[in-house]
Amino acid sequence: MNERVNRDVGAGVTALDLDAELMLRVKDGDAPSFGVLLEKHRLSVVHFLYRMVQNHAVAEELAQEVFLRVYRSRATYEPTAKFTTWLFRIATHLALNSLRDGKHDRAQERLDDTSSDMPARQVPDVRPSVEQSMVYQSKLDEVRRAVAALPEKQRAAVLMHKYQEMEYTQIAKVLECSESAVKSLLFRAYETLRARLAHMA
Amino acid sequence: MKCPMESRDQQVLLAFSSRKLDAASMSALDSHLEDCLACRQFVQAQGAVWDALDVWEAAPVSADFNRRLYQRLDRPVSWFDRVSGPLQWFGLRRLVPLAASAGVVFMAGLLFQHTAAVPAAPHDTAQMEALQPEQLESALDEMEALSQLSRPVHAETIDSKM
Repeated sequence: MNERVNRDVGAGVTALDLDAELMLRVKDGDAPSFGVLLEKHRLSVVHFLYRMVQNHAVAEELAQEVFLRVYRSRATYEPTAKFTTWLFRIATHLALNSLRDGKHDRAQERLDDTSSDMPARQVPDVRPSVEQSMVYQSKLDEVRRAVAALPEKQRAAVLMHKYQEMEYTQIAKVLECSESAVKSLLFRAYETLRARLAHMA
Repeated sequence: MKCPMESRDQQVLLAFSSRKLDAASMSALDSHLEDCLACRQFVQAQGAVWDALDVWEAAPVSADFNRRLYQRLDRPVSWFDRVSGPLQWFGLRRLVPLAASAGVVFMAGLLFQHTAAVPAAPHDTAQMEALQPEQLESALDEMEALSQLSRPVHAETIDSKM
């Protein structure tokens, strides 16, 4: 299989991209390899989509669609880019389409709704006081609002940069734009976020 | 070191805040920050953003995520998904029903146009209405001429019988 990956991979993809190797196995009919990819990337894809659309149910629905597409595209898969680039390109397309369709409006969790289906995050203290919980919730709401207010592409770029720790080049490939465009997107996005969130220091 | 704020190269400061600079650049910028208030303020503000974003942890994925996914994988792909699936990349999937409706309306229009183009069967009333007075006069003259022609023939017939 390694030989095959070495033979097939295009420019910019190293033979060490184990995900691409797994996907090639899926292409060859090895279903368990799909399970491995799913386990490995499920959380990051759902979290990315959740932060994009800010609705847990919609995010999971979109994540399912992402993995469905990955599986159904197995026959035509070619490792011309990193697997995660391809994966997040699908996820980003679906998220942007969902936002444009306004699907998330139907059931968008109110940002100030503490009774959402999201489990409340526990602050480091074992038993947070009511005051601590309220402060945390207030901060969280502010962050969510600030991110939600960003234009869609800026939002996607920030989420990939901050939470997926992607390099500019990979974000550029996911968003199908130039690296300088990504730098510009991120600069403007962080500028907006600094104006809204810097006081939280 | 050249001041990133003065040279408007704030990307370096962003990379510094996200710890994506190499060790040597990190160290050089660290030293610069001790003397440069503007850069220090930028980095502090960016650090605050970074910390604020850290507050936002995503929830765990539903326990039945995989089960639901495998159920969907086992389900055969519908014709609608086959047709509209590729269009979703371009955000056009929602236009498929609209396009189908437009197609039906277009076909109905074509059918209607074709029906209208077929010449209508001759209609007596319409023909009468279309007759001009001159035509009517000419027709009456012709009828009269015919009736005059028929008279000698009738006489000949009587003569031959006789």
